[in-house]
Amino acid sequence: MEDFEPKIVAFLCNWCAYAGADLAGVSRLQYPSNIRTVRVMCSGRVDPLFIIKALKQGADGILTAG
Amino acid sequence: MDLAGIGKERLHLAWVSSAEAQRFVEVVSQATASVKAQGEFDPSAFTMQLEAAEKTLSGETLRWLVGKEVKTTTTGDVYGRKWDTDSFETVLDSVLEREYHKNLIFSAIKDGDSNVRAIHAKIGLPLQTISYLLADLEKTGMAEFRGMHDCIPEFAAL
Repeated sequence: MEDFEPKIVAFLCNWCAYAGADLAGVSRLQYPSNIRTVRVMCSGRVDPLFIIKALKQGADGILTAG
Repeated sequence: MDLAGIGKERLHLAWVSSAEAQRFVEVVSQATASVKAQGEFDPSAFTMQLEAAEKTLSGETLRWLVGKEVKTTTTGDVYGRKWDTDSFETVLDSVLEREYHKNLIFSAIKDGDSNVRAIHAKIGLPLQTISYLLADLEKTGMAEFRGMHDCIPEFAAL
């Protein structure tokens, strides 16, 4: 499993983590390209059902950041 | 996640402020490394579990309870008793487990396992728990008794 690249669905809060990710980009900080970002207006918007749906559709992991 | 056998390690939760680019990088790297170590997730091996989890989370029982949490722990329940958060969470956890098991049994019946022993072989819950929860599924109109077959009661999902 040396070259296994996981697919991680990331639910990012518009005001916190998404802005943090944006800043990471602007500051040219490198981070793994395994995350597939879904921007939400608040991390409270993330319904547990989203997580089940992501897993159903082939995500290997979930990251919720606010 | 643990209840469904998926493992909560696949789910990561973190707080990152908009000014913390370095922290975001750390969080993402850590989550990626953790999921990489756990290997690929195969949803087809968890079809029944995911379906049961989905039904449980969108079911009204759990949503009612979650909606009542703040009121029950701050102003009190209908009898005026105030609950502490821990005891409320305990109730929530046991309801979650029960609803999940009911939905898992429902999925098994839908899959063609029509008697208690076949359901037990498929999902591994104790026989007594299955017959107990089956009675509840019948009451809520999710399953029905279809008659005896070789002295074994058979059920069908509705």
